[in-house]
Formats: sequence, structure tokens, C-alpha cells
Amino acid sequence: MGISDREVSLSDEDELQEDQVNEDYESESESELEDGDVKLSEPSKDSVYDTEGLLDKLGDISWPQNLPWIDKLTVDIDQAQEVDVNDDLARELAFYTQALEGTRQAFEKLQKMEVPFLRPPDYYAEMVKSDSHMEKVKGRLLAEKRKIEEAEERKKAREAKKLAKEVQAQKQKERAKQKKEEIEVVKKWRKQRQQSGFSDKGNDLPLDFEDGKSFERSSKKRPGVSPGDRSGGKAWQGGKKGKMKKRDFRDSKFGFGGKKGMKKQNTAETTNDFRDSNKGGASGNKKRKR
Amino acid sequence: MLNMVSLLPHCKKDNKVESKEIKGATLNELVELRNCSSCLFFECRKHKDLYLWMAKCPNGPSVKFLVNAVHTMEELKLTGNHLRGSRPLLTFSTNFDNNAHWKLLKEMIIQIFGTPKGHQKSKPYHDHVFVFSIVDDHIWFRNYQISVPHNESDKVSRGSLEKMTLVEVGPRFCLNPIKIFGGSFGGPTLYENPFYVSPNQIRALERKPKVNTFAKKVKAKTRRKMHELSNPLEPDEFADMWKE
Repeated sequence: MGISDREVSLSDEDELQEDQVNEDYESESESELEDGDVKLSEPSKDSVYDTEGLLDKLGDISWPQNLPWIDKLTVDIDQAQEVDVNDDLARELAFYTQALEGTRQAFEKLQKMEVPFLRPPDYYAEMVKSDSHMEKVKGRLLAEKRKIEEAEERKKAREAKKLAKEVQAQKQKERAKQKKEEIEVVKKWRKQRQQSGFSDKGNDLPLDFEDGKSFERSSKKRPGVSPGDRSGGKAWQGGKKGKMKKRDFRDSKFGFGGKKGMKKQNTAETTNDFRDSNKGGASGNKKRKR
Repeated sequence: MLNMVSLLPHCKKDNKVESKEIKGATLNELVELRNCSSCLFFECRKHKDLYLWMAKCPNGPSVKFLVNAVHTMEELKLTGNHLRGSRPLLTFSTNFDNNAHWKLLKEMIIQIFGTPKGHQKSKPYHDHVFVFSIVDDHIWFRNYQISVPHNESDKVSRGSLEKMTLVEVGPRFCLNPIKIFGGSFGGPTLYENPFYVSPNQIRALERKPKVNTFAKKVKAKTRRKMHELSNPLEPDEFADMWKE
């Protein structure tokens, strides 16, 4: 670096620096601002730039030149193009590529020196961020993923619904058509039979509604539906939820077809019940169904 | 404003200095007491501005920075993690070699942010990288975790080096150098950033136009009065119509 040459000649220049310093403390406050932004657009002319002093200090503090690289672990990466500070993505990308390049070079060197540099998977030691913190991070990542997935699913469901509706409409149309056709066929057959005078045995008549299919129900299986089930498979649909139970209870007690006529009883509840005070006189029927 | 002192991810040399506002001699003493050679001092002013001093303690140069754009490690978007105490790899962009003051800063950064080799608290592997780059005359700092998908622990094949990914651990900040001093926390100024404007000045400037509006209003009022006095209105013909 050639700094050792300068060290000798610099003792004189130290005095010069001190004079400059006094002027500069005032000059800084006079500098003008053009856009009122963080940066001055014109550099203030009197700022100190003491190259020799800087290099002098550099010589003072720097470690000896022949330090093995392993002690310093530094890599210099060339920054290819000028990155605009305000473009966040590009800036971060530049940092990332710089880091990646640097790591690759460093790893190659380390590999040559046969120094292990990767943590084996079974090496457990204290990490910089606590485990609970990492749990939070993981939780957040998962939550984000789930949100995205849910949004996707909702979209798909919407599309599928649309399609399903169309398909259903079509099916209904078809069914209606089929029904009509069958009725027509039966009518025709009847007419023909009428015309031919009920005499034949039915052998040569086209009975195309009797091709064996009309009495078969659709062969789609519906789970949980036994053949003799007339409710359409909806009678048992799993247990009811809590609120429905309450509703059902009240329905059975007060609804249509509720309890059998215990409405005018003098029960524990109704003695204090002054809602309808015109109703009085409970009959003494103690057959209270509990 | 965040106080990053507790967040220094490098658990290395004993930087446990906590003094508040007095600079100079006290800090130097503290550092010597702790047997350290360098010091990072975070100073927070008015709960809004964070300054960082980097100094080499016995006699060395010191730098004062203004810190911007701080994101601490607590942020959940920075998902990486690394061994506490493992030695970092330091990468610098080549702009550091362009000027003398950057060279000096680079040297100081190497000495401060690099964990020395045989330190008791350092752990053997290298699993994170520090990135220092100069963009727009600011030093940007990032800390990434190196993750390489690998099967065997020792041998790393060519292929897996390509698949290396970096996950950001944090923290991240941006340093704006203000001044470099020859001594530790004082001394002759070796460098001043010509583009630096103190945050106080920025805030004052932002508030100035608001002050102007009131002054303008007052002036406008007086102008109006003068105008009215100098051009009296003609007497209104219909003024007395409704008087009766």
C-alpha cells in the first residue's frame, strides 16, 4: 500500500490540520440546500478532506499486511452497475448478488484450506435468534401461505360453482326433455294399441320405453341411503349442534304439537311469571312431564 | 426510535458499554477498562435520530455516522438465523477502495465487525455473511445466513455451491458518514461529508413554508385594508331604501 513512505513526511502536516479545523466548524452551517432533501446538491466547499491524515491513520490502525486471509475473512466484490438507491428491489438484489458472489469465493478458498465451513446438521448450539422467535417467524410464514391458498381455493370454488350451475341447468333440461319424450312414446303406443284394436300380443310393437331402463333409478350411489329410505337420505345427518338442540327443545315444548297441554299448570316457573296475569287458575294436574 | 445496542448479533468482543451522553474521556476510560480496542457507540437524540460512533480506542480514528433505515432482527420478515458467535464472512463492494476515507472506514469495519479467530466465544463454522456496500455515499449493511442444501457434512460438491441460498437474518441499516476524527471521540477532523445535512436542519426546513402561510395572511389583510382606504366605494343609492 505504500503508506510507510508517507508516515515520515507527515509530522509537519499535522500542524496544518489544526488550523483548518477551526474554520470548518463554522462553514458547515452555512452550506446551502437546493431541494431541502437529505443530501446537499452542491457540496459545501470548505469541508475538510484530509487525505494524508486519513491515510496516516489508516497506516496506524491497519493490521500487518501479511496476516493470513483466514483472520480477516474479507472478500471484495465488484459492483457491476450503479444501483439507484430508491429502487428497493434492485438495491436489495444488488446486495444479495454481492453476498452470494462473496460467499462463493470465500467458500472456495476455505475449501482449499480444508477448513470446514458448513454446519453439520447435528450441531446444536445457541443461535442468534431464540427458538421462540423462530417459531413466531414460522407461524407467520405458514399463515401467509394459508391465506394465499385460501384465496386460491375461494376463486376456484367460485369458478366451479359457476360451472356446476351451468351443468345442472343442462341436466335439468335434459331430464325434462326425456320425460316429455317418454310420455309421448307412451301416448303413441296407447294410440297405436287403440288403433290396432287391442288384439295383438305386443310382440311387434316398438315399445321403446320398455327397454328395461325406466324403472331403474340412477345408479349413482348415495352413501348412507338404504333402498327403503323415503326421506331421501337426509333423515340422519349426524348429530345436531348445540343451538339447534335448544331450538328443538323449545319447539317441542312451546311449538305446534308441543307438550300435551300443560300450559296452564301452576308450576314453579309460572308462579313468578307475571307476563300474562290474566291467565290464572291452574288446574291441579300434577302430571308434570319432566 | 429503536435502540439497537442489545441487538448486536455478533456476540464477540466484550462490547458492553452503556454510558449515556457524555462522550470523550469517559468512553475512552470505559473501553480501556474493558480491555477492548474498539468501540461502537449508539447515541439517540430527541428520540428521533440515531448516531453511531465507531472508534478505535487507544488513539485511533473515530467516525460519526447518522443511521437510517433500521430494521432490527425482531422483524418477522427477516427469517434467517445463524449460530451466535460464528465468524462472519465480510464482503465489501469495490467502491471502498476508491477513496482514502472509504479505505479507512473499510479497515475499521474489518476490525470491528470481524470476529477474531481464536476468540473464546466464537463458534467454528461460517454460516453468515455481512454485506457492506456503498451506494449513494451511504454504507449499507446486511446480514445473510448461508444455507446450502447438502447431504454429507464435510464434502461440499460443486453442485451444491450453486444451490446456495442466502436468507436475511438482519438487522439492516444504512450509515451516513458525517465526520471522521483523528482521535478517539474527538481530535482533529480528518474528513467531513460535504453532503451531510443534519436532521434538525431538514426538519426546520420542512416547517418553514408553514410559517410563511401565516405571515402571508397577515400581509394580505393589511394590503386589503390599504386598498379599501385608497379606493373608497361610491355611496350606495339604495342604502336608505329600507331604512325608514
